[in-house]
Amino acid sequence: MHLNRDEEAILAGEKGEGSRKAMELLVALGDIYGAERLVPISCAHLSGVSYKTIAEGGISLLEDMALDARVCVPTTLNPAGMDRERWKEMGISPRFADRQDHIIKCYERLGVTSDCSCTPYLGTNVPKRGQHIAWAESSALSFANSAVGAKTNREGGPGALAAAIIGRTPEYGLHIDANRAPGVVIEVEGDDIDYSMLGQAAGAVAGTRIPYFKGIRPTVDQLKTLAAAMAASGSVAMFHVEGITPEADAFSVAGLERVAIGRKELDRAREQVNTGTDPELIAFGCPHLSVDEIRQLASMLKGRSRQGDAEVWFCTSRHTLAQCPRESKELERFGKLVCDTCMVVTPIEERFKCTATNSGKACNYLATLCSQKVVFRDAKGLVEMIS
Amino acid sequence: MKLSGRGISRGVAGGEVLLCETPVSFLGGVIPATGALADASFNGASIKDRVFAFPRGKGSTVGSYVMLEMKRAGTLPAAIINASAEPIVATGAVLSGVPLVDGIDLSLLRPDDRCVVDGSKGTIELPDVKEVPVVSCFILHGDELLMLKRSDKVSTFQGHWAAVSGYIEEGETPDQTARKEIMEELSIRDPEFVRSIDPIRVRGGDTIWAIHPFLFRAKDRAVTIDWEHTEYRWALPAEMAGLKTVPGLESVYRSLLS
Repeated sequence: MHLNRDEEAILAGEKGEGSRKAMELLVALGDIYGAERLVPISCAHLSGVSYKTIAEGGISLLEDMALDARVCVPTTLNPAGMDRERWKEMGISPRFADRQDHIIKCYERLGVTSDCSCTPYLGTNVPKRGQHIAWAESSALSFANSAVGAKTNREGGPGALAAAIIGRTPEYGLHIDANRAPGVVIEVEGDDIDYSMLGQAAGAVAGTRIPYFKGIRPTVDQLKTLAAAMAASGSVAMFHVEGITPEADAFSVAGLERVAIGRKELDRAREQVNTGTDPELIAFGCPHLSVDEIRQLASMLKGRSRQGDAEVWFCTSRHTLAQCPRESKELERFGKLVCDTCMVVTPIEERFKCTATNSGKACNYLATLCSQKVVFRDAKGLVEMIS
Repeated sequence: MKLSGRGISRGVAGGEVLLCETPVSFLGGVIPATGALADASFNGASIKDRVFAFPRGKGSTVGSYVMLEMKRAGTLPAAIINASAEPIVATGAVLSGVPLVDGIDLSLLRPDDRCVVDGSKGTIELPDVKEVPVVSCFILHGDELLMLKRSDKVSTFQGHWAAVSGYIEEGETPDQTARKEIMEELSIRDPEFVRSIDPIRVRGGDTIWAIHPFLFRAKDRAVTIDWEHTEYRWALPAEMAGLKTVPGLESVYRSLLS
C-alpha cells in the first residue's frame, strides 16, 4: 500500500505510539485486502465496548491507546454490557459495572462520544451519501451503506478505532463503487412481510453477495430490521431495494441469479430460529428501538395491563429515550426501559435460559453468544405475551 | 536460509516452530492463561514463546482480543507465520506486538525448526536449514518425455526414474547448469529451449531443494546416457504416475505446464 509523507511519519512514530500502532494496523489490513492507499473518512462507529466481549485484554489496549492517541473524526460507540444507570436492576455485579465504566471512560479519553447505541444513524452520528466512513457493528454499517449511501466495509472494533484515530481507512471493498453492485436478486412475494424473517431468509441466500430486493417498500425502521437480520444470518454488509435505497438505480441486475422468498420461506426461517417455548426474558429493541417504534409499542400497550412474570426489557439509546418521555412512562408499566446496552451484549446467560425477541439479528446471537433458547414473535406477538 | 513473504506485523523475534496444519481461531482454540492449544491432538502444547505457524486465522473477531489477553498473561507466541493472513489474527498480532509474516509455504517448515521472523522485512530465517539450488530438465520429443533411471553411482534416489538434474554450482546461472547437465548426461548439444519457471522449493531433512524446472525439446530420439543413469525410455507424461520416480517429479512437470 502506498503511504504519503504524513502517513509515513505517523508510521514512524512521529505522532506518538498510539497513532503509530493505529497506522500499523491500517497498513496491515490494507495489505491483506489489497488496498492501494488510505482514504479520508467523515466519521467512525466502534464495536468492542461490552466488558463481556473484550474483557481485560481489550481494556489494556484501550488504556495504552488512550495514553497519547485521540480520534480525529466524530466517533460513536456500540452498546455496552449494561445500562450505565440501572445496572443493579439488570443483575450486573459491581465488579462488571466497574470494569464496564472504565472501558467507557477510556473511550471518552480517546475523544469518543459515549452514547452507547447500535443505531447511531438515528441521531448521534449521521453520515451523508457518498462519504467514506469506518463503521463496525454489522447492522449499523449495513444501514449506512444501503439506506444512506455512505461507504464502509465490515470493520472490526480495533480497525474502526484505528481509522478514527488516523482519520483514514484503507480503500478497498465497499469504498470502491464497482464493488457496490448487486450480486443476487431477491423477489419478495406477499404482503405484510416480517422484515426480521425476510432478513433471516435473505441473509442465508445472499451469504457475502449484495442482494437487490424487489417487491418490498420498507420504512426506515424496517430497513434497520432487515439490515440487522441479514448481517447476522449471512455476512451482508450492503443491500439495495428497488425504488427505495439511494444506489439501487445505479446498477443493472440483468443476468443475476433470482431467488424468490415468500410465505413458505419466511415460515421455514421462523421454524428454524424458534428453539424455546417458555421465555424468562422478553426483549424488544434489537437494533435499539427508534422513537417511532417506542410510540407504536406505547399505543399497542395503552389501556392494557401487565401479564406474566417474565422479565421485560425495551432496549434503546439514551438519545432516543430523551425524545419520548411520555411513551416511555407507558412502557415502564410493563418492563424496564434499558439504555446503553441490549440483550445480546449484556451477560443475560447468568440469569436466563430462554429469551423472546422480535429481532432476526437477536435470534442468531442469543443462541450463539448468550447460550439462550429463543422464542421469536413479531412485536404484536410479544405485546400479547406481556399484556 | 531465508524465505521471503510479506510483513504484516512489524518486529523481529525467534523461537522454535510449532506447526498447526489447520486454520486457527484464537477464541476457543488457544487457552489464554497458558497459551496451550485446545485441540487434543496437540497434547496441551503451548504456543508461548514459539514461532506459531498455521495456514490462516478463522472464527470470531473476538479472537483479536484473546491475543491481548495473552499479552497480559505473558503467553503470546514469539512470532506468527501464516500462509495467508486474515484480519482477525493480523489485528491481534499488530495490537499485541507479535511479528507476523505471511506468504510462506508452510510445507517448508518442520516442527521445532529454529526460526527468526522479521515482520518488518517480511522474511523468515531458518539458520539450521540450507538451501540447495538444482535444475530439473524435462526433455520432450513429440508427445513423449525422456525418463532416466538413476544409477547406483549417484548420491541420491538410486534406481528412481528422474529428469536430467544437477546442482547449480557457484557462479552458474540455472540456464547454464541446465544445458551443461543435458550435454553431460545425454550428449545433446543445443537442445531447443521451450520454457522455464520460478524455482519450486521442497523440504527434505535439513535441506530445502530449490528446483529450477526447465522444458527442452530434442531433435531426435537418440540419446547417449552417462554413468549417472542405467537406462532411459520415452514415455507419455501420463505414464509417470506408474513409475517409481524421484519425489515430486510429476508435480514439478505439471507446474511447468501450468
